[in-house]
Amino acid sequence: MYLVANISVEICAATSCRLCTQFCPEANTILYNNEAGKEKGYKYGSAYVAVDRCKGCAQCVWVCDNMAKHHAIKMVMIDQLPNAAITDNVTYGEKSTTAQLASPVIG
Amino acid sequence: MSLDYVKFSTGFEKFMPKEYRDMVEHGPFGRKVSVSQMGTFKEILEEHPMCAGCAMTLFIRLAMISFPNPEDTITVGTAGCGRLAISQAAIPFVYGNYGDQNGVASGLSRGLRLRFGDKPKDVVVMVGDGGMADIGFSGTLHSWFRKEKFATIMLDNEVYGNTGGQESGMTNKGAVLKMAPLGKKFEKMDMVSMAKVAGCAYVATVVPNNPRRVESVIKKAVLIAREVGPTYIQAYTSCNIEYAIPTDKVMEDAKNVENDRYQFSEYITDEAKQYLSERYGYKEFLPKPAAAAAIPQA
Repeated sequence: MYLVANISVEICAATSCRLCTQFCPEANTILYNNEAGKEKGYKYGSAYVAVDRCKGCAQCVWVCDNMAKHHAIKMVMIDQLPNAAITDNVTYGEKSTTAQLASPVIG
Repeated sequence: MSLDYVKFSTGFEKFMPKEYRDMVEHGPFGRKVSVSQMGTFKEILEEHPMCAGCAMTLFIRLAMISFPNPEDTITVGTAGCGRLAISQAAIPFVYGNYGDQNGVASGLSRGLRLRFGDKPKDVVVMVGDGGMADIGFSGTLHSWFRKEKFATIMLDNEVYGNTGGQESGMTNKGAVLKMAPLGKKFEKMDMVSMAKVAGCAYVATVVPNNPRRVESVIKKAVLIAREVGPTYIQAYTSCNIEYAIPTDKVMEDAKNVENDRYQFSEYITDEAKQYLSERYGYKEFLPKPAAAAAIPQA
């Protein structure tokens, strides 16, 4: 098994920072959903990770902990994630993206 | 070299992979995007084989987003790590022989001007420090002296990262590397000063820990290269493998290096300032209003 980044919607949706989306070396891996937090009553949307593209470098964790100081991102073993986004389930909209969450591990 | 080249051929939409359909429908082609919108649109760059946590990839990703007209842009590269990512993007990429990238870009830039006249077509050279400061050194300087109009970007990781860690001209003095066990004997080459001497209209040094600044300098460099003259950006993009930087500390290293020896610097000629302010509305370069005459004391 291997580590991937996992973003806490509860912490992320309470802020509007979006810093992690700008510091990931992988393209279209940390995506942003404008509605993710609003559905749960938070003010903002939330970032999320397309785990099939995450190489597990944890750069976003450093950025969230030290630059943004939100501590919203943790590295998690991929089989410990009950639900996650993968690229095939991401839908692009006008100014936002949405993802259907499903178990990232096959079988 | 236009918006048409990314569109589907009629009847083939349903056979195209999802990534391609997303690119056509939600990519940056034909509209303005910025780093603050990252994560909400399909990027030009796709999956690539660069190492996890590579700062060079982050810089390339930011650069691809910053191109003013990605549908009218061609990138030129050469051997080195960078080309592994640059070639995985939805814009044409020309792979020169080692060191001849600025020669290839010169011909390309002139040819595009002949073919398309006044319609701007941007040529952007993106190569590593070895390809530019060592092996492609004469070609690079010559293209600047000839005032070839294209942007040159150095991805400076201060080592030959792709071949196991040999020292390059841009390695710092004294640095001990896997394939340079005695330590480097001479100082890091001052390419920024050479670019100014050779007549570049815009020269900047950046570190990718400030995405908005990276976006700003790349936009300026590409726009100035359209009409004014050659432009040069030197970006610190650490090699976390050869310099043994833990991947989660790559941005901390970038911050330390920026404070230590890679401060942001920007050099822009008066002609380039005038061009940016008149043609593209850069307010910071507008001529300052003349000071009001002092009121004579009674």
